Order: sequence, then C-alpha cells, then structure tokens
Amino acid sequence: MKPMRHLLRWTALLATALAASAQAAPDTIRIGVATAGGGDPVTWGGSPGGVARANNWLEEEFKASGIKVEWLFFKGAGPAVNEALSNKQIDFAYQGDLPSIVGRSNGLKTKVLLVSGARNNLYLVTPTQSAIQSIKDLKGRTVSIFRGTNGHLVAINVLAADGLAERDIKGVNLDTGSAQAALVSNGVDAAFGGYEWFKVRDQGLAKVVYSTQGRDPALTRQAALLVRSEFEQANPAEVQRVVDVFVRAAHWSSEEKNRDELFRIWARSGTPVASWTAEFDKQPLAQRNSPLADDFIVARYKAVVGDALKLKLIRREVTVDDWFDTRYLKAALKKQGLEGYWNASDAKGQPKGGPAVASR
Amino acid sequence: MSGPASLSRDAAELAAVQPLRPVDRSRWRGLVLPAVAIALWALLSWLDVVNSALLVSPQKVFATAADQILSGRLWRALGASLAREATGFLIGTASGLVLGALLGLWPLFDRIVGPSFNTFKQISLFAWIPLISVWFGLGDVAKVVFLSLAALVPVVVNTCDGIRTVPPALLEVARVYGFTRWQTLAQVVLPAALPAIFTGVYLALIYSWLATIGAEYLLVAGKGIGNTLIEGSEHFQMDLVIFGMFVIGLVGWLMNASARALERRLARWTGRA
Amino acid sequence: MSAEAELSAVLQRDAVTPLRLSLPWRRLGDAALPWLLPAALLALWFVGAGQGWISPQVLPPPEFVAETLRDLATSGDLWLHVSTSFARVGVGFAIGTLLGLLLGTAMGRVEAYLLPSFNALVQIPVLAWLPFVLLIVGIGEPLKYILIAKAALVPVALNTLQGFRQTPQSLREVGEVYGYSRRQQVLEIVLPHAVPTLFTGVRLGFTKAWLSLVVVELVASSEGLGYLIVYGRQLFQLDLVMAAVVIVGAIGWAIDRLLERLENTLHRHRPGGAAR
Repeated sequence: MKPMRHLLRWTALLATALAASAQAAPDTIRIGVATAGGGDPVTWGGSPGGVARANNWLEEEFKASGIKVEWLFFKGAGPAVNEALSNKQIDFAYQGDLPSIVGRSNGLKTKVLLVSGARNNLYLVTPTQSAIQSIKDLKGRTVSIFRGTNGHLVAINVLAADGLAERDIKGVNLDTGSAQAALVSNGVDAAFGGYEWFKVRDQGLAKVVYSTQGRDPALTRQAALLVRSEFEQANPAEVQRVVDVFVRAAHWSSEEKNRDELFRIWARSGTPVASWTAEFDKQPLAQRNSPLADDFIVARYKAVVGDALKLKLIRREVTVDDWFDTRYLKAALKKQGLEGYWNASDAKGQPKGGPAVASR
Repeated sequence: MSGPASLSRDAAELAAVQPLRPVDRSRWRGLVLPAVAIALWALLSWLDVVNSALLVSPQKVFATAADQILSGRLWRALGASLAREATGFLIGTASGLVLGALLGLWPLFDRIVGPSFNTFKQISLFAWIPLISVWFGLGDVAKVVFLSLAALVPVVVNTCDGIRTVPPALLEVARVYGFTRWQTLAQVVLPAALPAIFTGVYLALIYSWLATIGAEYLLVAGKGIGNTLIEGSEHFQMDLVIFGMFVIGLVGWLMNASARALERRLARWTGRA
Repeated sequence: MSAEAELSAVLQRDAVTPLRLSLPWRRLGDAALPWLLPAALLALWFVGAGQGWISPQVLPPPEFVAETLRDLATSGDLWLHVSTSFARVGVGFAIGTLLGLLLGTAMGRVEAYLLPSFNALVQIPVLAWLPFVLLIVGIGEPLKYILIAKAALVPVALNTLQGFRQTPQSLREVGEVYGYSRRQQVLEIVLPHAVPTLFTGVRLGFTKAWLSLVVVELVASSEGLGYLIVYGRQLFQLDLVMAAVVIVGAIGWAIDRLLERLENTLHRHRPGGAAR
C-alpha cells in the first residue's frame, strides 16, 4: 500500500508541475505589425496600437511580471505577417482583413480579439502630369497594387464599381516604399494606396485621383489585432492584459480633445500631421478607433471572404463567427467602465441609434 | 547524365565566369578606360548637360562615400552582411564537402542522388525563397539556409569532379604498392583532388556573397550593404546606389584576388609534393 | 581503364563480390536508379501530407500542386506566363550574346585596356545592378532586358576571349609560313578552333540568363513565371509557388539538355581534337 500511495502522490505532483509549466507565462510577448513603419524607435500610425507602442504602455504593463515586449515590423505587410504567424515567430498580429482571412483559409489558427483601425481609406494616385482623371482611365495602364493586403480587395471592388476587372489593368505588385519610388519616377501610370501618399502629394509629386472618403463604407478596409490560438490557450491572462492596454489606447484615441496630440504621436512614424488630418478629415475619431467587433465589422469580414472566394484569392471557405473571440474585449470594457462608450454600427456601417459619439 | 564528362563541364562552367587574367601584365593600360570614363562623367555632370536628379557628380559620390565610411555606417552594414555570409558559407561548405565526397567515391550513391542534384542546381536558388521564408520564417535561420545552399552547390560539383579526375597513373601506383582503401584515399586521392576542392570552396565564397545580397532584397534583413543599395534606390539617392555597387564589387574582387593568391600558393605546394 | 573505373576498383577491392544479374535486368536497374530518390521524396510528400504530419500551409499536398498546374494549363494562364518569360529571356539573351561576342572579340585585340575594367564590372552581381538600372529606366520591360542581357554577356564575352586565345601556336606558325593574310588566318585557323568554346560560352550565357529571369521577375512584373511565384507568396498559395518553381526548373533543364547536345556535336567535330 505504501509504495502505491507514494507513486500516486508523485504522479499528482508531476502532473501539477507540468500543468503549471504549461500555464507559465512566456518571457517575451512578440507583436507583429503589418507595415514597415518608421521613426526611431520604429512605430506606426493610423491605429490606436500605434499610441500604445509610442507610449510604451504594453512594456509598462508587463514590466512588473518580468515579461519583455517585442514589436516586429514587416515591410511585406499582411502577407509577411502570415509567414511569421505560420512560423510562430510572433504571438500577436496587427493585420488587415484580407491577409488575415487568407491566413485563416490556409490553416493558420488565430483568433480576432478586437478591431484596431476601422474604415481605412484607399486612394488612387497618379503622377502630377498624368492624363488619368478617373478609375475608367485605368484600362490597360500599369497600376501598382500591393497584393494580398487589405488594399488589394478594395482596389478590385473600386475597379469593379466602374466596370473594370483586375485583368483589365496591368497590376504590378509593389510594396508601399517601392510603389512611391515607382510612381514618382513614372515607372507605373498609377498606384492604389493609403495615407502614405498624402506626403508625396504635399511635395507636389503626385495627385490623388480617387478617394473612398465619403463613399459607401463597404469600400473601406479594416485592421484588427489577432492572436495565435495556441498562445491564447496557453496564456489567457497575458492575452487579457494585452487587450486591456489596447482598449485603453482605443479610448484615448477616440477622445476628440486628443485629436492634435494623437496626430502628433502618429507623426513619429514618419507620416506628417498633415497626412493624418487629411486621412481623418470630417470623420469622428470614435468611429475609426473603436475596438468593437460590431455588425458592420462582421459584415465586412464576411463580405471580404465572399469576394475573396469569388476572385479565387482563397480556395476554401472561412467561417467568421467562431473566429472573433470577444470575451477579452468585453471583460476589458467592463473593467474600464467603457461598455456604453462606443456606438455599435449596423451591417451597413450606419451607427445604431443616432450619430457617433462625441463630436468636436 | 552524371558521368565524369558532364561534371568536368559543370566545374569548368562554374570557373568560366570567373575573371581571366590579362596576358599582358602591363597594369597601367588597364586603368586607361576607367580614368577616361570618370573624366567623361565629371565633365558631363559639370556641364549639366543631362538635366536629371539622377546624374550625380563624381564629387557627390565621393562625398557620400566619405560620409558613410567616417560615420561608421559602411562598416556596420558591411559587417552585418559579411557575418551572415560567413555562417552560411561555413555550413554550406562543410555539408558540400561531405556530399561531394560521397558522390565522388561511391558510384551507387552517385547514380541515385546525382541526377536529382543536377536538376536541383538548374533551378535558380531565388525561386526557393518564398518556400524558404514560409518553412523557416523571415529571420536568420532562413537566411542561413539560403546562403548555405548557395555555397553548397559549387563545393559539391568541384569536390566530386576533383575526386573523379584523379589521374589513373597515380591510382596504378597505389595499387602496385598495395595501399589499402584508406591509404589510397588519404595519400593519393585527397591531395590530387585538393586543387579542385579549393576551387569549389572559393566559388562557394563568391556565390554565398552574391546570395547574401539577394537575401537582403527578398527576405527581411535589417542591416546590410544590400539594404544600403535598396534604400538609396527608394529615396532616389543615386550617389548611395553607386557607392553601394562599388563596395559590393570591391568585396567580390577582394575575395577573388585573395582566393587566387592562395590557390597559387597551394599549387606551388602540391606541385612540390 | 578510365579514372572512374580505377577508383571504384580500388575502393571495392575489399568489398564482397556483388550479385551478378543478367544484362537486361541490370540495364533496367541502371535506368531506374536516377528515379529512386525523386520517387522516394514524392512518396514521402504524399504520405506526409495525407497523414497530416505537415500542415498544408507549410507544404501543400502533391495533389494540390498537380491540380494547380492543371488549372494553369487549362485556363491558358500558363501559356501567357511562360511566353512572357520566354520573350523576355529571348530578347535579353540575344542582346547579351551579341554584345558579349563583340566585347570578347574586341578584348581579343585590345585586351590590356578592356579586360581589367570588364573584370571589375563582372564582380557586381545582377541584383546589385538592379537599383541602379531601376532608377534609370524604371520598372518596365527594358529593366528586365538589360539585366538579363548583363547576365548572359559575361560568360559569352569571357569564353569568346578564351576561344580566340587558344588557337594552338603551331597552327598559327603554319599560317604564317604559308603567308596567310590576316583575314585568312582568322577565318581558317582561329575561328574553327574558337567555335566550340564560343558555343560553350553561349550555352552558359543562356543558363545565366534563365537563372536571372526569376530574380528579375521577382522584383516587379505583371506577368511571367517569376510573377507567379510572387503572387503565390503574397496570397500564401504555396502550391502556386511550387508549380511555378517546377515549371521554371523543367524548362531550364530541357533547354540546357538541348544546348548540351548541340555542344557535344560541335566538340566532336572540332578540328584535330578528340571529344571533350
């Protein structure tokens, strides 16, 4: 009897130790950001995440536990982040809608925690002297598109709205930096891109021919914070703390009184304040920086899945409903007393129950 | 397909793109063309004949060069690139020597693995980059894998070729003297194959240098001389681009020159043996 | 006895006498050997994907790759991309070979002036030329032609020079004794000896051109095999990447074999020389 009891006790101890080590906190938390970013230290703008990064809120949060935070920036944007996720080189990812869907459709196991930059615009730019005046003029021209990023799908939809298919233009795959170099040197006739082009426009080197600002919200692109399922299952406490910080950043970024300061913080990434003013023109910050995965967001992600399937950008159906894991978000909102702060939008992007929170 | 004839050709092919040494030893004549070219360049940019931000004067390139050297940026970038190359080169060469020896000494192994290897080396290494970056990530492991592959190919080809083309006369002598298998290998085959093996190793150095630049383009890199080039290109700084090209060419030339000097010394040594 | 046979004899001296099979079986065995390794790898791939040892995003099952190849072929996309790549290599290779021949010949005359500069420029790899040429001509077709031409030019020029150098001195002396004019010397003595080496240079030039095609298309293009690789990478479709790699390898191999045959013929007919 005695040996048996010893054996049982040791087995129990071992099991507990193993379980505990599985729950043991990681020594580094790595966050991958789907953009090259800029500045020193490298940061990015256009998302509340950039605020958290610039203010070191995550590092402060985890300093007491002795956990380091590592931010990794990817010039290859969303597609490169997928490669990093696939190799478990990062635990969290800030990534656009299409690339995260592409990753999921190819078997990457992730969870969407919260939205971190909604309704980003897409622009069509050309060299200043160009004869191209509208989308229709793009037929047969060389156009730079960053394939696999969330801009890719919006570009296709924008073309489709004017009766053009991706085949009707000569699409060249160029990342953000290369696209700017190419357009300015007349290497391409036009380029699809985002806020990075305002700086070039303000230097007199390009003109914006088309903008999704003020149009159907379905023509915008979203970005979210994702986590690897494996990491989330092993470290729920750490995930909650990361979400808490991001919600705090989202709250700060949604206060109109912080508008100037927000743009200044984002300008540290190399994109000047004037560009942010242009990008967020006539839009309430709360609408862009809300972390809620509301009906609009879910509808957009489902639409992107549908479009991607139709265009053969993905080959397998992707379920959206079981992908969003909003438990952490809800807990964070409750903890910070922000449950009623942001207005959810309906599937069409219109705020439910009245205009969006707090105007100027 | 993998007989000695095609391997000799492959070895010759790899060597054929290395610079030939001028028969005429007069050094000064070689400098005439570059001197004229630079003078012409300086003249054109001074006259402002071509109105373009891209035509930078030689002075500007010098100034940029001086800045890069003195501020230490050149050394940091070069150091990073060379460090990466060193790791890949060592791993690739070591595995290449083993694989090449196996192919050269074991006919059965050669018949099974040889054709596949031949086909593999036909495919540009750069085509493997997307696969490498998915399998090994975007960090240093991927880069080292890529560089090792680049170094491995010439080492395998030349080692195998060197072993195969040991003069039959030498083997005859070994048989007459009753050498065992190991003695033959160590005292006859190896020294005879050494020059070819050396060629393979020095080609590996060059190829892994070329691959280092490529890796900096296509895999996320960080610091490196290739990145200096790319940044120059993206920011329209032609002077930085020219400077970068010059540095890369210079490093390549230095590698070639030192390898040749070593080779000559080695040839003298084995000649005497 | 050939060196190879000698060597194996030496090495197998202590080994057990192998099983002697009858000739037809041995021939079959010989022919099958090269396929052993690829077959084993393919089998491993099949089983690994089927058993789920490897996740599909890291290595797509072979059936996927085959399916993608088939889709490409039937939709006509394959033809579009292959022909674009071919056209690019064709133009670049032609330009490079022509320039290489001219340069090699020129260096044959004024070697001391040209060769050192040529050697220096050769040290700079195609990829290092890319930003420079990109800034000058942009990302259109000329960029690709120029870079591919550069890749082809180097071996052609060097081999041309080599070819002209290697005319045996004895034959040159015979020409002098017979009072051949310069033109006769070149046409009847130098050239026939140089042609095989020249052709080796051309063959190497093509190999280099085909290799640099992938590199050049990886950077900026809207069609082509390299473009397919990039597209597949951006959209995480590894089967597309692998299909494109297979096609690139297959074409490169096929053309290389063809050129090798031609080269062997030329070498056999080389004046006064045995086969290489």
